[in-house]
Parts: sequence; C-alpha cells; structure tokens
Amino acid sequence: MSLGIAGSGWVTPLGSGIEFVWDRLLRGEEPIAEQIGASPRDRTHPVFRVPEAALASLPRDPRLRRVSAISRFAVAAGLQALESAQLQLNRGHPERIALIFAISNGGVTYTRRFYNDIVQTGAQAASPLLFPETVFNAPASHLAALLETTGATYTLVGDGAVGLPAIRMAEDVMASDAFDYCLVVGAEEVDWLLCDAYRQWRLLRARTPLEPFRTSPRGAILSEGAGAILLGREGAVKIDKTNPGRAYRNRREAAEILELLLADLVDPDTGLIVASANGTFVDLAEAAAIGKIAPHAVVYTPKPAMGESVGASALWQVIIAARALETGEFPPVLHPPADTPLRIAGQGPRTAKTVRAVVVSCGLNQQAAGVRLTIAP
Amino acid sequence: MSTSAVLDGKSAPARVAIVAAGIVSPLGCGLAETLGALQAARDCVAPVTAFPVEHCRCKTAGQVKDEALDTDRNGRRDRRVHRATRMMIAALDQLFAQDRQFKPQLTVIGTTSGGMSYGENYYRARHERASLRHAPTWIANYPPQKPVIDAQERFGISAACQVIANACASGTNAIGHAFECVRSGRYERVLTGGYDAISELVFVGFDSLQASTPEKCRPFDRDRSGMVLGEGAAVLALENLELARRRGAAILAEVIGYGISTDNFHMTQPEPSGAGARQAMERALASAKIDAAAVDYINAHGTATPFNDAAEGKAISQLFERVPVSSTKSMMGHSLGAAGAVEAVVCLLALQHQFLPPNIHFRRPDDDVDLDIVANAARTAPVRTALSNSFGFGGTNASVLIRRAAT
Repeated sequence: MSLGIAGSGWVTPLGSGIEFVWDRLLRGEEPIAEQIGASPRDRTHPVFRVPEAALASLPRDPRLRRVSAISRFAVAAGLQALESAQLQLNRGHPERIALIFAISNGGVTYTRRFYNDIVQTGAQAASPLLFPETVFNAPASHLAALLETTGATYTLVGDGAVGLPAIRMAEDVMASDAFDYCLVVGAEEVDWLLCDAYRQWRLLRARTPLEPFRTSPRGAILSEGAGAILLGREGAVKIDKTNPGRAYRNRREAAEILELLLADLVDPDTGLIVASANGTFVDLAEAAAIGKIAPHAVVYTPKPAMGESVGASALWQVIIAARALETGEFPPVLHPPADTPLRIAGQGPRTAKTVRAVVVSCGLNQQAAGVRLTIAP
Repeated sequence: MSTSAVLDGKSAPARVAIVAAGIVSPLGCGLAETLGALQAARDCVAPVTAFPVEHCRCKTAGQVKDEALDTDRNGRRDRRVHRATRMMIAALDQLFAQDRQFKPQLTVIGTTSGGMSYGENYYRARHERASLRHAPTWIANYPPQKPVIDAQERFGISAACQVIANACASGTNAIGHAFECVRSGRYERVLTGGYDAISELVFVGFDSLQASTPEKCRPFDRDRSGMVLGEGAAVLALENLELARRRGAAILAEVIGYGISTDNFHMTQPEPSGAGARQAMERALASAKIDAAAVDYINAHGTATPFNDAAEGKAISQLFERVPVSSTKSMMGHSLGAAGAVEAVVCLLALQHQFLPPNIHFRRPDDDVDLDIVANAARTAPVRTALSNSFGFGGTNASVLIRRAAT
C-alpha cells in the first residue's frame, strides 16, 4: 500500500513551521543548548529545548490550560499538518480521520512530579490533577479533543524508532475504507530525570556538540518537540514501502537488522538516506549497514542540529526526507567526522535530484524500522 | 520482513480465528484455572503486598500469585526481568503449548504502564542517594515494549511489535487492531493481547482520583463506590480462518467485529450519556454485520465507578434488550492495559463452556440503568456471540465481538 503525505508540521528546538525550520537546517544552524539538572548543586546535562516562541500559534483552548509540554508540542505540530493540507476537520467527517500517536517517554515531567510527591510526603500528597497527565495517551487525547476527531485514536509506545512503526500502523489502519486520512504524530519532552537515566546508560554526551558517525561515539544530546504528518490516499510525496523491522538483541545484531532493512528498502533510485545517527552505538550500526547496502546514497542525520528527541525524531526524519525530495536540496550534516567512507550530506554538492529517499531509525531500546519515500519524477 | 508487498491489495474480508490463548490473572494461571474461578464466582481481590498502602483509601487489589510466574522457561535470567515480562512469558507459554506451529507476522499488545515499578525503584534510589548498582537493569526494563520484546525472544519470535497504550482500552484496542490486520488480508497471523503489572504510582494515582474504593468492587450496583486495581497478562493467537483450517489448527472462536471511538469529553470521565461507549458498540456491530439481538452476553468494562457504570449502563440499555451483562472486574480487579485481553479470554471461555461469568458483590440494582446483571453466580446459558467492552482515560472506547466456533 502506498500513502501520500498530504501535510506536515513540526515543533523543534530550531523553531516551528516547516519552511522556517527547513531554512535554518539548510543554513546549517543549530540551537543553543540549555543545561538542566535536578538542582543547581546536581550534575547538569545539555539539552536542546523548544523555544517558547515556537508555540505562539497554539489555540487558547481550556483543554490546554494545564497540559504537559509534550501535549502542547503535539497539538502545535498536528494543527500545522492539517493546516498545510488545508483540512478543516470539524467541517468534514471527524470519524474518518485516524490519529496515531508515537511516544517514547511520555509526560515524564508530570510523572516525575507526581511520584516525587509520593516519595517525599506519602500517598496522601499525590495530586489528582497531575495523575491523568502521566498516562501515555494523554497527549493523543488532548490532540483528538482539539481536532474533534471521533474515530480511531491509537497511542503507540516504543523507542526512538517508534515513529516508523507508527507509519506502518497507519498503513494497516488505512487498509480500511473507513478512513480518509491518518494523522501520525510523534512527540517528546525533555526532563533532567530522562537525562539522568540515559547518562546511567552511558549514552549521553556531557557537552555539545553532537558528533555523528564517529568511529568512537561520544554520546547524544537529548532534545524535545513534535513532528506530524498527515497521510492520505494522495500526495506528491508517497510513502511507498514500509518495513516494520524487528527487535535487535544486542548492538552487533542492530547492524545486521539495519542491513536487512536497507536491503529491502533501497533500490538504485534511492539517492538519499536520512539516518538516525545520534552519537551513540547507533552510528556504528547505521554506518556499517549503509556502507554495505547503499554506498552510493547521500547520508543525512538531523540529530546534530536538532538533538535526539526520541519519540519525535523519526517523524522529523520523514519530514526532512520529504522536503529533500520536493526541493532537491538537503541540509549539511553538522559536525561530521573527518574521515568516513559514507557520502555525508554537505561534504559534496548540496542539491541532488533524487526520486527516492529511505528513512531508517534504530532506537536505543532494541527497535529498528524503515520507510521509503518516492516523489513522482 | 515486509509483508505489504505479498499481502497487499483489496479482497473479500478474511474471517479471523482465535487458534490459541493464554492467561495469567488473579483468577489463576491458564484457561482451566480461570474457568474454575469464574464458575465458582471466586473473589480474588486481596490486601496489597507489593508496596505500602497505609496512606491510601483503597488497600486491596487483584494480584497474580508469584508461583504462577515460575514457568519452566523462567531461568536465572528472568529474575532480572520485570514482573510484567514474566507474566507475558507465562501467558505465551500456554499459548504455544496449544499451538506450536503458530508463527506470528506481527505482534500487537496493549499496556498502560510497562515496567513502571522499575522506574519507581530508580527514582527512589536516586532520591534516597541509595545504590544505583541495579540502575541499568531498571532503566533497560522500564520501557513498555521491553516485556513484549523479551517474551517474544524467549519463544524465538521475531515479529515486529506494535505496543498500544490507550489507557484502560489498550487490550481491546490491541485485539481489535490485530483483528483488522488479519481481516484486511495484510497479515495471516497476528499475536495479540495485553499486560500490566501493579505499581505504586498507578495505584496511588487512581486512589488520588478517588476512583478506587476502600470497599468491595460492586459493578453496576446502586451502592458502587469505585474500582479495585488488578494485574495480569492475556494473549490470543489470531489467524486467517481458512488458513488455520487448512493447517488443521484448533479453532477456539472467531473474532467478528471491532469498534473504536473517541468521545473527547474529559480526560478521566466518560461522556455521561454513554454516547462514546454506544458508538464503539455500534461500530463493532456494524463491523460484524450483525444486529444487537444476536449478542448473547456482554462482558462490560464495569469498573464500578459511579460515572463509568452509569454511562456504560445507559449505552447498553439503549442498544440491547435485556442481554445478560457482567463485569468480571468484580472478581479480579481492573488490570488496565491487560483488562481487555483478559476479558476477551473470559468471553472465549463463556463461548466454549456455555455459561455466563458472574458479577460478584452485587446487592441492589441501580434504578437509573435497566440491565440483566449476572449477579453473584455463574449461569448456564447458550452463548453464541459475546461482546467485550473497554473504555479508558482520554475518552477512548473499544468493543470487540467474539463468536463461538462452529461445531
């Protein structure tokens, strides 16, 4: 099954709005990292946060009054995607649009605050206002309420790759004639607790920049935001093949699974691969697989410019691949390695008329998946 | 790995068989123990032992006995994995004992909280400046997809996972989506179900909302005062009926319809008229192309909260004429992401053994809803088609219809 991208939207540390962020990516800009920690005395971590101005267009809806940051990012990105497709839901058939929400850590800030009250004071101090926002499907629920959709709403949980299985799930859902569109949204909010946990795993870098594809990875920088794509039956850019991948057991197997994924998705017309390299073991796995299966393709990763946004990141990759196909341009990879056999974007020509791009994502918690995008020549 | 190329394309909807099932719940481990508990109307709710509850209003829950999780597959390595993983392994162990040939192309599982208690351990240890020696294990086993991936790995399954977290409707949504995947012809075999293990954060959360009760859980009773939590895991092997027959698989039952709706009313309360619940049930009936009169039993969401049961009761009485209804949560608590899957297995047992599972602790009917409650004891009855409801936070509603296998 082939689905078209009818609209897209994103909220990122570089701002919001497809054109605005795309221009900043093309110019090779990167956000300024903020240091966050449990307290000023504690260890701090650099993160890329969404600037407040990026949410200026959010509607003043009572439903959004107390919601978590992740919900606000998701609503802003979802509304942009519908606007770019010129689709007004409440004037059509609200049951004919499905919503699939890709999420990894969820409303981690409210979850931490809620549990902190229990740990510090006891169960009697737990807040009934915070608890509902700790539920994984809270952001999807707020978005559905604002869009007034009454049909299928699913929240899919997973690691940083989850946005791609969400697209695969959209394909499954759209196999039914009951739906005209499926809005796929991925979102993440950053919190010091998340940084702390990833640091325990030795996956974070203590200072910027994020340097991808190094032979000895130095770690990722976490970020936040949301990406949304509206999938329909038509669209200039099509998602013409998905591969749901499978779980990898260890880092060595990650490379093998990525290789199988790419072998399934890459063909001679594939000129661009948008990878998920984030300064961790993922880079080594992706570099090995791409070098073997698609050495001819230009390789781009947005993570040095936008950070590792986990639940949102794969959707950002898809949006970038679609823009690259539409415009024939691609942004430069920031802080690339000095020597790599890969054709890293930005190290050669900045334009390439290609009709196919593959997005591949390898999450940090055993999931890997891919999709292929095609534009009519 | 991709199946879309070979199974793509429109054709007549496939019929979807349940060819195997596994269950671990407070009622017991396996189909036989679960059947025995249902027929005996056993109350399996007990004082909470997993964490302190002295500051909570509610102090009870349905809890899975640790012995149920000591399967042959639980070696030394399993001591490190989360309790939820061990429940999934125990349920899958039963499923594959029934059908060793079942090889899923996709796994769709519902949950709400994954390995939440490991996240709690991490936060507490960090807060108390205690040893973080186990932190990597806690962090690695905290994500909701991890119990599914680990359990799959234990049985040599490499299918892609879709882990759905639609609050309390997750399990039914997972089964419904899996059903649609087989029915559309995109997949031939899908493993589905749900799991959730009890955790302090979630328990205290429902307590803080005063949604859980310090008394007995009395769904649809006039004096109902709230839910009790539970835990468990249940899995179903769904397969294209024709292909299952061709390979000689046992057909336990057939999933015939699925309805999903979003009511957008409130984050934690259902739309009071029951419109969202009704829409999910109507869509399930339309999906199955059957009339409401064809339904012989409804396993209600029936949390025993005043709001849920009023809305669901209204929706049922508007759509159906005196169909027997019970909420088996009265016996084992509300297992959240597992509930839909556990209750689908309860429906399966009702269809196989021709009885109506009971709604225990029922004393006085609610004057506002006119329902035929299967009160306090199981009833023998012809059951050809059963409907299972699940409704969750965020206004997500789901219903599945299951039909008895043709004899």
